[in-house]
Amino acid sequence: MNKTGKLYIAIIIPLIVWLIPTDFIPIEGLTIVEHRVIALFILAALFWILEPVPIYSTSILIMVLLLVTVSDHSLIFFKVGVDEPGFGSLIRYQDIMGNFASPIIMLFLGGFFLAMAATKYRLDINLANVLLKPFGNKPKYVLIGIIAITALFSMFMSNTATTAMMLALLVPVLALFKPDDRGKIAFGLAVPFAANVGGIGTIIGTPPNAIGVRYLSGEYAIGFGQWMAFALPFVVIMLAFLWFILLRFYPVETESIDLKIGGKFLKSWKAIVVYCTFAVTLLLWLLDFLHGMNAYIVALIPVAVFSVTTIITKDDLKRISWDVLWLVAGGLALGLALERTGLAESIVESIPFGDFAPMLIVACACLITIIMSNFISNTATANLLLPIMVALGTSIPGLYEIGGLRYIVLTVTFACSLGMAMPISTPPNALSYASGFFKTNDMLKMGIIIGAVGLTFAYFYLYILADVIDVL
Amino acid sequence: MAKPNIICVDDQRDILATLKKELLFFRDLIKVYYCESAEEAATIMDEIDAESEHVAVIVCDHVMPGKSGVDFLSEVKDDNRFPNTKKLLLTGLATHEDTIEAINKAKIDRYIGKPWETHDLINKIRVLLTEYILEEGLDYNDYITILDQDTLYAQLRKTM
Repeated sequence: MNKTGKLYIAIIIPLIVWLIPTDFIPIEGLTIVEHRVIALFILAALFWILEPVPIYSTSILIMVLLLVTVSDHSLIFFKVGVDEPGFGSLIRYQDIMGNFASPIIMLFLGGFFLAMAATKYRLDINLANVLLKPFGNKPKYVLIGIIAITALFSMFMSNTATTAMMLALLVPVLALFKPDDRGKIAFGLAVPFAANVGGIGTIIGTPPNAIGVRYLSGEYAIGFGQWMAFALPFVVIMLAFLWFILLRFYPVETESIDLKIGGKFLKSWKAIVVYCTFAVTLLLWLLDFLHGMNAYIVALIPVAVFSVTTIITKDDLKRISWDVLWLVAGGLALGLALERTGLAESIVESIPFGDFAPMLIVACACLITIIMSNFISNTATANLLLPIMVALGTSIPGLYEIGGLRYIVLTVTFACSLGMAMPISTPPNALSYASGFFKTNDMLKMGIIIGAVGLTFAYFYLYILADVIDVL
Repeated sequence: MAKPNIICVDDQRDILATLKKELLFFRDLIKVYYCESAEEAATIMDEIDAESEHVAVIVCDHVMPGKSGVDFLSEVKDDNRFPNTKKLLLTGLATHEDTIEAINKAKIDRYIGKPWETHDLINKIRVLLTEYILEEGLDYNDYITILDQDTLYAQLRKTM
C-alpha cells in the first residue's frame, strides 16, 4: 500500500467513527467530547501505525485537532450544545498547549544538552576508549565491553547516537574478520540490542521511560534514583543474558580484536566545564532525596550552564531532535485528553475486565505492547498504550492488589523498549542492519529470544518490586 | 516526492554503457540519468528540479564536444537551485590547468582518473550521496542500504 492509500485509511476510519451517532457507541454515558476524543485517538493510532506522514507530524496534528475540537476555546461550531447534559467538559487550551513545556520535555532537553556537549567535547569517545581497555583483546571479553559500554552510553545519550558511535568503532574491525566467521553477527547484533536494552536504565534513556514516569504521579511518583535502583539490575541481567546467548549462537573464531581509538581527553576550560557539569548533574539526579530538587529541575541546570558558557551554541541548538520532543508532547496531549474527559476510564469500565485475572490483564497488555513496538516507534507505542494502562491500573480493583498502577505502567514501559526483532523495530536496529554483518533472520531469532526473555523477566521482576519501590 | 537522482555525463557511448552496468548498484532506490553532453544534462536537471526532485550527484567527464565538463560543473556550482549537489569529475585527459579550474572554480567534491576501479567509483558516489541526503535533510532511512555507513555514523553521532 502506498502512502496516499494509507493516508486515506487513516483519515476515513476516524471520520466514520466521528460521524456515527454517540448513542451507537457501546460505552455507557459517553459524552460528545469523549466521542470526539475516541475518534482522535483512533486517528492518532492509525497515523502512528501506518505512518502516512512522519510520526512527529502526527503529534502536532493531534495537538491542533484537540485544540480545535475539544478545548475551551475550540471552533464555535464545536461548542454548540456546550451547556446541555451529555456534552461533557472541554479541556483548557492552556493545558493542551502546555505539553510542549511539560516537565518531561524539559527532562529530555537536559538530556540532549548533556549528550550534545559530551559528543562535542569528545567525552563519549574518550570515555569509551578508557572503559574498553580493561577488556583486553580476547573477542569474548571485548564483546562484554562493547555491550556494557553501549548500554551505559545509551542510558544518557539517544540510542541512535550511541549505536552510530559504537558501530563507527566496530565496523573497521569487523571488516577484518574472516568472511565465514559468525562472530561478526554477534558483534553486529550486540550494539543495537545493548542500546535498546540500555535505554531502559534511566528515565532519560529513552522517551517511553519518561512518558511512563509522567503517568505515575502523586503517591506513585518515581524519582531518577529510584528508577535506576530497579531498572539498572534489570538491564545488567538482560545484558549478561544477551552476551551469553550471542556467544552461544555465534561463537567468534577470530583470536584477537584490536579496537583502535585515538585521542586524548580535552583539557580546555570548556571541556572541564563539560566533565564537571556532567558529573554534578548525575549526582544531583541520584541524590534528589537529599537536596529536594526533582529530576526535571536538575535537568535544566546543564541547559543553563552550557548555554551561558556557549558550550552549546546557537548552531548546536538547531541540531537538537525537536522531532522527538514534539512526538512526546503530542502523545502527552493525547493522554491528557483521555484522562481529563474521563474517557479512558469509561472505556475500561465498559469492558468487563473484572472477570479476568489481573495477572492475565497485565500479561496481555505486555504482549500487545511488545508486538506494537516491534512494528512501530517505541515512543508512539508508549504514547498510545500508556494512557490506557493508567486507566486500567486505577480502575480495576484486582489489579490494585497486585501492585496496581505502578506494576502495569512499568511493565508496559519496559515492553516498549523490548521490541527489537526486525530492522524496522528501532533506529539502532536499522542502522546496524545496514552495515551488513548479519541477515534479517539472525536479528529475528535473537530479537525474539531477547524480547521474550526480557518480557517474562520484567513481568515477574516488577511484580515483586512494584510494592517495594518506595523503599529503594 | 523529494527523491535524489544521479546524473552521469560522458560523450563516449561505451563509457556510458560501462557506467550503466556498474551503477546498477543504485538501481532500486535512485534513478540514474545518462547524458551524452553537458547541454543534455542541463536540460534533464531543469526537468528534475521542476519536479521538485533533487540532483544529488553529478558524475561528469571533462573533454567533451560542446561545453567542457569543468565549465558545466562550474555553472552548476553557481546555480542557486543546486547548492548542495555533489560533483565528481571522471576524466583521463584533464590538463594541469583544467584540474586547477575544477577545484577552484567548479569546487568539485571528488576526482577520479580513467581507467577507474568499479568499487572505488561506487564507494565515492555512495559517500557523496550520503552527504547530500544528510545535508538536505532527506529521510536517510529510505536509502540506508546504499549509503556510506561511516559518513552516516559520523553524522548521527552528532544528532541527539
